[in-house]
Amino acid sequence: MLQNTISDGVLHVADPEPAPPPPLIRLRGLTKSFGPNTVLNNVSFDIPEGRTTAIIGPSGTGKSVMLKHIVGLIRPDAGEVLCFGTDMARAPEPALYAARRRMGMLFQDGALFDSFTVGENVAFPLVHHAPQMSEDERRAKVNEKLALVGLPGTYERATASLSGGQRKRVGLARAIIMEPEIVLFDEPNSGLDPITSDAIDQLICDMKQALGVTFVVITHDIVGTVRVADYIAMLYRGDLIAWGPTAEVLRAEHPVLRAFLQRNLILPPAGGSGDARLPAVQ
Amino acid sequence: MAAAAAFFGRVGAYAYFVGDFVVAVRRHGVPWRLVLQEAYSIGVRSLPILLIIAGFVGTNLALQGYFAFKPLGGSRLVGMFVSLAGVRELAPIIAAAMVAAKAGTEMASQIGVMRIREQIDALEVMAVNPMAWIIAPRLVGIMLVLPALTVISTFMMVGAGLLVSVVQLGVPGEIFLELASQGISAPDFLYGQVKALIFGLIICTVSCYFGFTCERGPEGVGKATNQAVVTSAVICVVLNYFLSEVFYGGAH
Ligand SMILES: Nc1ncnc2c1ncn2[C@@H]1O[C@H](COP(=O)(O)OP(=O)(O)O)[C@@H](O)[C@H]1O
Ligand SMILES: [Mg+2]
Repeated sequence: MLQNTISDGVLHVADPEPAPPPPLIRLRGLTKSFGPNTVLNNVSFDIPEGRTTAIIGPSGTGKSVMLKHIVGLIRPDAGEVLCFGTDMARAPEPALYAARRRMGMLFQDGALFDSFTVGENVAFPLVHHAPQMSEDERRAKVNEKLALVGLPGTYERATASLSGGQRKRVGLARAIIMEPEIVLFDEPNSGLDPITSDAIDQLICDMKQALGVTFVVITHDIVGTVRVADYIAMLYRGDLIAWGPTAEVLRAEHPVLRAFLQRNLILPPAGGSGDARLPAVQ
Repeated sequence: MAAAAAFFGRVGAYAYFVGDFVVAVRRHGVPWRLVLQEAYSIGVRSLPILLIIAGFVGTNLALQGYFAFKPLGGSRLVGMFVSLAGVRELAPIIAAAMVAAKAGTEMASQIGVMRIREQIDALEVMAVNPMAWIIAPRLVGIMLVLPALTVISTFMMVGAGLLVSVVQLGVPGEIFLELASQGISAPDFLYGQVKALIFGLIICTVSCYFGFTCERGPEGVGKATNQAVVTSAVICVVLNYFLSEVFYGGAH
């Protein structure tokens, strides 16, 4: 299993696998414009099963739009997205919903229902998709996931009383309640304090190892990204400018990519080998 | 020209929206456990204002009826005037207007907030059809409540008219009630209920449409709410004319 680690300010990035596992999500020629604004321009790449793929890039380059294509919330102008082989833009609703039931997504602000308690929010997918489950069983399961995201004993809390970071964690608990095979995160770390942020990164690593879940993570937090990601895709102005195993992307020569990563990391020499380092001052 | 195109574009989009909703409900059914809660909140929110408005429309019907008929020596006809105008026309449309103003605006703003905060997207991604889950219980709720509110509105209006007639205008109560019941017949109540169901359908689908299509940004929800109440009120009032023509037009 791939595992990147940080010690003594050095980021040890696991060597790339000989070949990535078969793709669970395939993007083919994905193109999308909003009016004159081309947000995605012929983007193609594969997201391998059981690995964590990070999507990076400056804000406004279409990362969220790409994630919404993956779950079928936005239809592309051209190209296609296949999840588990289902064409997310053209599949009829039953097939689309069947695919979505195998996916969980964390929205940028949690997208929780404020009129529900925390527990009711997390239980929501179970109530809909596993109505045969007993109330006790459901509660136990919700409490287990809440504990996993570091919010034990909050079942009865009012959702409106949560802080931003707590909302995200509740959103994460809801995203994983159905034991999905794919979990998508839109900026899980933005607006979080470093400790919570690290806890979420750790959670991603743990779940990947324990459950073999495929993660797709959009993030601004370069250090966190490099720590959790097995594969990195970088979008820049709608183009995919890099895609590959983390170690290879860190050594790639693309100037925009290097400039982007270098804001937070001291990179190994282009084309060379070696680990990235964290800057001395935080 | 551009305005006309935009208008017909909107009408087309609304028609599609309603079509999608019908498909969603046929496929996913109505979440019945939410209906009661919606019906309750629609009723409770609209009732106080409806009682006030319906009551004070009734008072003015009595005054104007009295002033109109008095010179003709028919001040006793005030009961007939109040019941005819109240039962057939004003009670249903005023109940609808109040529900549009309270419950309709609330639907548009709640759903608009859900849209902006990505809760509708989240429902989609959780494989829960948002139209069936959000609109269907509100629609059933409004269809249950608006006919009842129309009946309440009717009694409030006629009751207030009676009060003013007896206390202020000196028309004997028995006479008022006798002429009031002559003015109308059982089908009038039935037509009022049919109007209520149609108005409920319009208010709910229009308000939900504006909520679902709410734009992002600080003005989005306010705009959606405003458009919801204006549009549903205009449609209901115009439709009211045609419905009355169909129901009562034969009696020229
Ligand atoms: N629904 C939409 N309608 C119009 N423009 C949109 C929509 N969603 C996103 N955009 C535009 O697409 C571009 C990329 O947005 P987004 O994917 O959210 O960027 P980011 O990479 O920061 O997540 C932005 O310019 C944004 O304004
Ligand atoms: Mg984004």
